[in-house]
Amino acid sequence: MKGRALVITSGKGGVGKTTTTANLGTALAMMGKKIVLVDSDIGLRNLDVVMGLENRIVFDIVDVVNGNCKLKQALIKDKRFEGLFLLPAAQTKDKTAVTPHQMKNLVNELRKDFDFVLVDCPAGIEQGFKNAISGADHAIVVATPEVSSVRDADRIIGLLEAAGLNGPQLLVNRLRGKMVKKGDMMNIEDIVDILSIDLLGVVPEDESIVVSTNRGEPVVIETTSRAGAAYRRIARRITGEEVPILSLDESNNFVDRFKKILKLAR
Amino acid sequence: MSVTVKNNGGEMIIDLKPLKDFAEIKKELDRRLGFSDGFLIGTQVTVDIGEINLNKEQIGEIEEILLSYGLHLKGLMSNGPPSDTKESDGNTHFLGHIPYYQETVLICRHLRSGQKFFGEGNVVILGDVNPGAEIVAGGNILVMGALKGMAHAGVFGDETAVISAYRLNPTQLRIANHITRPPDGEEIVVDCPEVARIRAGKVIIEKLKI
Repeated sequence: MKGRALVITSGKGGVGKTTTTANLGTALAMMGKKIVLVDSDIGLRNLDVVMGLENRIVFDIVDVVNGNCKLKQALIKDKRFEGLFLLPAAQTKDKTAVTPHQMKNLVNELRKDFDFVLVDCPAGIEQGFKNAISGADHAIVVATPEVSSVRDADRIIGLLEAAGLNGPQLLVNRLRGKMVKKGDMMNIEDIVDILSIDLLGVVPEDESIVVSTNRGEPVVIETTSRAGAAYRRIARRITGEEVPILSLDESNNFVDRFKKILKLAR
Repeated sequence: MSVTVKNNGGEMIIDLKPLKDFAEIKKELDRRLGFSDGFLIGTQVTVDIGEINLNKEQIGEIEEILLSYGLHLKGLMSNGPPSDTKESDGNTHFLGHIPYYQETVLICRHLRSGQKFFGEGNVVILGDVNPGAEIVAGGNILVMGALKGMAHAGVFGDETAVISAYRLNPTQLRIANHITRPPDGEEIVVDCPEVARIRAGKVIIEKLKI
């Protein structure tokens, strides 16, 4: 078995890399895949908190590369899904504690046992970024519909291509359908136009993300969440299924649909 | 012999009325609890001692026996005349046995996420220990604030080392080579100082009585 290694990156901070990693990993695990999430944000780890696994950390990625423990000992099994594991980052060290070479070996080791290795990349383009992308064979670039985020995503795509990671895919996060309709927010076409890479998916802005993140439960578990549904569709796309991109329409409830029909009738 | 253990809706009453002296009470309590096999850990216990009068030290001894099985003494029931030794010497330390270390380090600041402190002996912190911060000590750890991060006492293998905090709410506690974490899902809010130590091979948290 040789799994795929994906790195989730963005350049800009706060666009939802960690949330995306947690949710895509959980969604893939829900589909019965064997997944390991790797937090490469050494010194500012968050993935464990978002997954609600913070209090189970005994060994971390730095312990593994330094040989203080075996790789299996550092992997934390998720409390909800069989086949979902987390390799946490160290909090009391910094990015220089791991080299790109060590990271590559680590990812290749993990690849043997898992279907997907998802690496959560830190913000920035320094050593942390270089660590995260080494060993990955595919990149997902997360961007929000803001000029600054798209600008940083463009820079990241350039760096990824320079590093030999061709064909990165774009995930547009926190899109507000209503604002796009009014013309107040960049739309998907604009973003894809600027970045000219494949669109992997669109995740709408959703308040339930805040709630679930604070509770340490990925939002994909909730069937009612729109962002959760979007992440589940993206996960299916990652496994090669053909799933159409969700429409921007925020109004999907009965009354709005009824109004639409009336409008059409008129 | 009619020494009974009653379970009264989450609270346990141990009836030792038939016993006549303190040594017998201790022996019987020990024998009875020897059967309990750990499933009672955390239970509040009331001991009915009937006619006997106990002084503060003896009550302390009963509490020690209960705690060694992971039980908490809620109170004593007694039919005898009230004892006059209630407010006796302040010498009885309810903190129990605490190992002695020559060196103690005092830290007068908050420990924040990513900060780590190591001390060969005891470590005392006047401040909070936030999630993501770590304190590691060869001896005991005392946090005069909220312990919300990770604390490791007795790192060289001392199982008698204790971790106490004004508010004990850690992500993880380690004593010697024991590792524990709070249970999932439930949030326990305790508004008093507590102490964690190893009893009967498990890390147990007790109220800190001073």
